[in-house]
Amino acid sequence: MISRSNIFIALAVWVTLLQGCTRKDDPQFANYINEPVKSQVRGLDPTISASDLYTGLVMGQIYEGLMQYAYLERPVKVEPLLSDGMPEISKGNLVYKFKIRKGIFFHDDPSFKATNGKGRELEAADFIYSWKRLADPAYHSDGFWIFDGKVKGITKWREDAIKIGKADYSKPIEGLSAPDKYTLVITLAKPFPQLLYVLTMTGAWALPHEAIENYGGEFQNHPVGTGPYKFRSWVRNSKIILDRNPNYHDDHYPTKGEPEDMNRGLLTDAGKKLPLNDGVIFWELVEDQPRWLNFRKGETDWVEIPKDSFDSAVKKDELIDEIKKQGVELQKWTEPDLTFDALNMEDPILGKNKYLRQAMMMARDSAAVIQKFYNGRAIIAQGPIPPEIAGYNPNFKNPLKVFNLVKAKELLKKAGYPDGKGLPEFVYDTYGGTTSRQLGEFFQHEMAQLGIKIKIHDNTWPEFMDKQKKRKSQMFGMAWSADYPDAENFLQLFYGPNGSPGPNASNYNNPEFNKLYEQTAVMQDGPARNAIYQKMVDIVAEDCPYIFDAHRKTYTLNNGWFKNFKRNLINLGYIKYYRIDQQAKKELKPKL
Amino acid sequence: MFSYIVRRVLYVIPILFGVTLITFVLFNLVGGNPVYQRLGKHGSEAEVKILSHELGLDLPLHQQYVFYLKQCLTFNFGRSWSTNQRIFEMLQNGIGASLSLAIPGFAAGIILSILISLALSFFRNTFVDRAMVVFCLAGISISMLVYIICFQYFLSYKLGIFPISGYETSIDGRWQYLILPMIIWVIVSLGSDVLLYRTIVLDEVFQDYVRTARAKGLTEKVVLLKHVLKNAMIPIITNIALEIPFLYTGSLLLEAFFGIPGLGGMTVQALNNSDFPVIKAMTYIGSIVYVFSNLISDIAYAVVDPRIKLE
Repeated sequence: MISRSNIFIALAVWVTLLQGCTRKDDPQFANYINEPVKSQVRGLDPTISASDLYTGLVMGQIYEGLMQYAYLERPVKVEPLLSDGMPEISKGNLVYKFKIRKGIFFHDDPSFKATNGKGRELEAADFIYSWKRLADPAYHSDGFWIFDGKVKGITKWREDAIKIGKADYSKPIEGLSAPDKYTLVITLAKPFPQLLYVLTMTGAWALPHEAIENYGGEFQNHPVGTGPYKFRSWVRNSKIILDRNPNYHDDHYPTKGEPEDMNRGLLTDAGKKLPLNDGVIFWELVEDQPRWLNFRKGETDWVEIPKDSFDSAVKKDELIDEIKKQGVELQKWTEPDLTFDALNMEDPILGKNKYLRQAMMMARDSAAVIQKFYNGRAIIAQGPIPPEIAGYNPNFKNPLKVFNLVKAKELLKKAGYPDGKGLPEFVYDTYGGTTSRQLGEFFQHEMAQLGIKIKIHDNTWPEFMDKQKKRKSQMFGMAWSADYPDAENFLQLFYGPNGSPGPNASNYNNPEFNKLYEQTAVMQDGPARNAIYQKMVDIVAEDCPYIFDAHRKTYTLNNGWFKNFKRNLINLGYIKYYRIDQQAKKELKPKL
Repeated sequence: MFSYIVRRVLYVIPILFGVTLITFVLFNLVGGNPVYQRLGKHGSEAEVKILSHELGLDLPLHQQYVFYLKQCLTFNFGRSWSTNQRIFEMLQNGIGASLSLAIPGFAAGIILSILISLALSFFRNTFVDRAMVVFCLAGISISMLVYIICFQYFLSYKLGIFPISGYETSIDGRWQYLILPMIIWVIVSLGSDVLLYRTIVLDEVFQDYVRTARAKGLTEKVVLLKHVLKNAMIPIITNIALEIPFLYTGSLLLEAFFGIPGLGGMTVQALNNSDFPVIKAMTYIGSIVYVFSNLISDIAYAVVDPRIKLE
């Protein structure tokens, strides 16, 4: 027989063992930022993973470009990073001359054999090499579009490489030259007002040829850049650790911001040398619950509030007292994005009947969508351009973006389909996942009120992409996030030559719009360009190739010890600004 | 027995051929186009053509299939189309994580299920037996997701007994993250296994040889562990053998919620990304594991029951 005392001892041992299971704070990581990532991170090669946002967030700490976004200023603006000051721009905006900062070194790595593993100094030629690699067809980079047709000769260089089956890196590109070690000259094929924006992007970062030659296909697992952090380790699908780069160049916390930044404590570290922490651990937390619970336990420093946890944290748009008392702060951010339902303009019925599309737009209750699917965290999109993007007009009210079933029915009658009679059943494509299907079902329900029958077809993501890219889908819901803060990035979604498989998912092709798009493509930011942007918005608002839905807001929570948090999704090199208040962490973490 | 094993190994060839054919046909029917995934939102028609050519997707289907068969024969599936990692390395990294969770969970589940089944046969038709049957039925009816969400919330977050999620590559650093998912694995498997093994054991306890054993004066412990268990092992082995291949892919849900970088999550990501080389490798190696675990179970029958001759 097992005695009671034996059972008691066994239980005590078991409980003691279990206590040993909890994760203990490792002192070596005390001053590291714990950053959650909500998607799988792909390879850390900026050429190959150029368009992957979550991979970009990691790479943005290792690599750098000529320009970056000012951390605190809004509307966002570009400023020099590896460039020594702003470039010299020729009359006509065709030639950009950059001076490269002296004394910028790549991370120490065994690839630098000539210097015994010490990081080599950055040169202008490194940019030319990196951009040739971006254009090299062997890499099939999803980031080449940033220079394609814009930098003189780069498209030809790529086409020649395709023709002969191999890129010749010794062959020059007409529009890229390095007259000396620290000067880079970019000559454009035509004015490209967004050039400085794209120079902040993943595909434009400086890569050392030594590391690429040394690691070959494994470069993605051995990233070497000039950034504030050096790669330490990566457990795939789990965590990535980056350490502070001890040789990081002279870079300081900004001294300018928005007026309220001072009160929010965002200028406390003004002028201090960056980075303000010892490193970063990226936790790949794909599921909402572990991502949320890890934050609530203080294992990560901040979190976007997941949809299902929203009501337990926020009441009446305010953080609940219980969480507030733990020192947690709620912040609200408007994202530069657009959610919409695309209507395929090549569909013989949808594409040819403007009144039908307008009726659908008026039957769409975006306010209800925002409540049901985004917990009220979005604003209704009047047009394609989100707030805080150059070219956004806050006074624009889309006359069709008003939920009005009576008017929608009148429009449907005008379209020749009174109460939907005579219309075939349309297919609305959704892609795996509950929210996408629920959004489709809500659209189906709204259109049924007009008498328009919609069938939902649930696809896997690859099937969905396949249909959309091959122009086979009649209608579907999607979202677009800004690559850079210019309305052009959203208006390109309506430019005819950008039809699928390009970004124009509705295959809209209006010669008048196309002409205006081409006209603005070479214009610098200013009132004249904004006036034409507004004309373009008016055209697509009238034509309704998309049913505009929302510009989403993100509600984030951050722990009280986490300082200098100011979100900007297009600014990838942001972790260097974050600081951990060690004293506050000691006091607040036990409360969680 | 040797000729039996050789024959069974030869049977593997048409089975694997069938698996490769079905995988290939299914991928081409519903797998989507990986080129669109790779090129992202700005891909042009010209780039689609170039990449399709490079991946061999513009070749006639029979040539693509022959290429796939060659990869199967050499076990060289190349690199992932999505992450560009070497597939061999992906498998090498993932299998350790999957098995570190699956093997202890699976082994503990089997031992516990068998012991509980034997105990229930001892308490047959009593309150304990009936309560356990109800408990097992309830266990089967609840989705694993519910266990994960509740256990992670209460045991990890509220009580702080286990870490919420995480993983370490070192063996000693890893175990702390694996205990809770293992407990869930065991609980989820207990319901169905206990019900099955209880039925198997009860079939045996009314046999004449058991009555004889009891008549000889053997204790109930000896009767159950020495006589009943040995005779009940054949259907139990069959059940275990059927479950073994699934260990290799781990548990997708457990891996996703507890941040364990195993093969289950890797396979689902490959399906979502139309990453055919990874899908090919996983299905091919999975089918080999399946076929060989069946063979091992057949051999185990002969070892456990001398009446069975493998010819």
